[in-house]
Amino acid sequence: MSRLLNWKTLLVVAGSVAACVAPLVMADLTFFMRTVLAAIVVTGLSMLMGYAGQASLGQGAFVAAGALTVAIGTTRLELPPLVALLLAPLVAAAFAALVGIPILRLQGHYLAFGTLALLLMVQAAMSAFDVLGGAFGISGIPAFGVAGTAFSGQLPYAYLALVCLGLVLTLTHRVVHSRFGRGVRALAGSETAAESAGVPVGRSKVAVFALSGAYAGLAGALSAFFTPYVSPDSFPAVESFTYVIMAVVGGLGTVWGGVIGAVVISVLLQVLNSVSSQPGLPPTAGPILQYATYGAVLIATLLFLPRGILPSASAALGAGRRRLGAGAGG
Amino acid sequence: MNELVGYLVSGVALGSSFALIGSGFVVVHRVTRVVNFAQGSLAVLGGMLSASLLGGRLPHGVGELVAVVVCGAVGLLMGILAVGRRGTPPLISLIVTLGISLLASAAIIWLWGQDPVSPPGLSGSMTILGASVERQRLLVLVATLLTFAALALVFSRSYLGKALTASASNPFAARMVGIDVRRMGLVAFALAGVLGGLAGVLVAPTNALSFSSDLPLALSGFAAAVFGGLTSPLRTLVGGLCLGVAGQLTAGYLNGSYQTEVALLLMLVIMIARSKSFVAEEAK
Repeated sequence: MSRLLNWKTLLVVAGSVAACVAPLVMADLTFFMRTVLAAIVVTGLSMLMGYAGQASLGQGAFVAAGALTVAIGTTRLELPPLVALLLAPLVAAAFAALVGIPILRLQGHYLAFGTLALLLMVQAAMSAFDVLGGAFGISGIPAFGVAGTAFSGQLPYAYLALVCLGLVLTLTHRVVHSRFGRGVRALAGSETAAESAGVPVGRSKVAVFALSGAYAGLAGALSAFFTPYVSPDSFPAVESFTYVIMAVVGGLGTVWGGVIGAVVISVLLQVLNSVSSQPGLPPTAGPILQYATYGAVLIATLLFLPRGILPSASAALGAGRRRLGAGAGG
Repeated sequence: MNELVGYLVSGVALGSSFALIGSGFVVVHRVTRVVNFAQGSLAVLGGMLSASLLGGRLPHGVGELVAVVVCGAVGLLMGILAVGRRGTPPLISLIVTLGISLLASAAIIWLWGQDPVSPPGLSGSMTILGASVERQRLLVLVATLLTFAALALVFSRSYLGKALTASASNPFAARMVGIDVRRMGLVAFALAGVLGGLAGVLVAPTNALSFSSDLPLALSGFAAAVFGGLTSPLRTLVGGLCLGVAGQLTAGYLNGSYQTEVALLLMLVIMIARSKSFVAEEAK
């Protein structure tokens, strides 16, 4: 068991080193940023779906809340970028809590459709009200910077995003292994049983929902600084579906599953993009390949690897080690 | 006054298409406790198929019929993926159907491209109570009423309908009396395919459909089905009509672009207001 633990530590260290070196060797960091930001969102969603047993098809609504906080805060209210960045997850969490209180009384598929409806309403509100950008969106968001300095180029953003991902993973680990986290896992099994064991079911669900909203808001804020333009089209529904796919593929109910799912799906998408932009293919090849892969990966994972990559892989690794150990012993 | 009647009539016509899509959700959920996210894709598929078949010189009636039958077969395939494996929890089945709807989008773009497609339907309009209504929309209303009457008869009178209901209300007892619950689930999915295809065939002549229409269609249908707690066809019909009328009134008196949002907001309010009774239904 301790050998297995060492393997895991080794993998985490190797992954972290690779993530820190990658921005230095990549020419364009847009893909890298997108992956890290998706990993932040999906870590929250994986916690919500895996530990609390609640599905959200509209996580983009909270990404939008974070991005809007930065966009409005820096361009209209002239807040310093750091204040806007810190404010974004709080605003997103407050928004999630506010809508979570009524919406989390729904269960299962009602909640899934409810969150999707929420995302569509946020999109509609963004294009309807000029305060939120209107049809043209908000542009001219300043570069991020602390105390008079300003970021230039893509590289500092990549490291800022990595630091945020690190914080999010640490926080998730702490939350999941706390008393509160055990209560949340209990309510995913049976709300009635958890309630009778003294878990405040309603409050716990709203808290997890708000935390996952805060992660999404943080990712939205970072993306607003990186791509200084926020419009209703920045948060399409299919992107929120992608988060669900990443969470399911990586493995629900694991701290690292979100990161693995985000990396696997992002790399897959990048490969598909380069395939579909080959000369000689029709312009519809891109969306066809993208939708087909999303659907096929999602269905194949649910039917053949229902626990996702990470739990299945670590179970296989554990079984392999046991077999090896038994072989050596016998 | 005349204006109001106009909005009411067009609202009822619009709402009946919501109800028709909603009936697909109801049939599947009633039997399997699964919400079929791909219900909107079925409608898009139906509309696209009928456009191609009618364009390929199949006569009216035959083209539409073939499209609906193909949609039934596609619905069956969806069912095999979503509930074919024994013991798939309903929420996982929902995410499987989300995957199916993404696959369907890929297939629709591949076969029909990204532009909206609209098959020919009934042309011209009629005047009812001083309000002008397109004849195709009236056809939708009549077809919806007939479909719901047929559904009510099937569920309450026929052996198959009773077996379907039995599988839903108590799967264990249904198995005890010799009903194959899994097969009933597949029948429900095929029936939902037929209903979805029918909705698409009827709606497409007045509202051109594209691969991205699946989401708004599915949401409006789901909103209608929510009125009936996802189990009652009759209340789904009423719900669809209410949503259609509310949408047309908003479009007429406030702003046309808020029509969908009003429907979504109504759906959320009803879901939350009735959440207690839903939980009770789930627990049964």
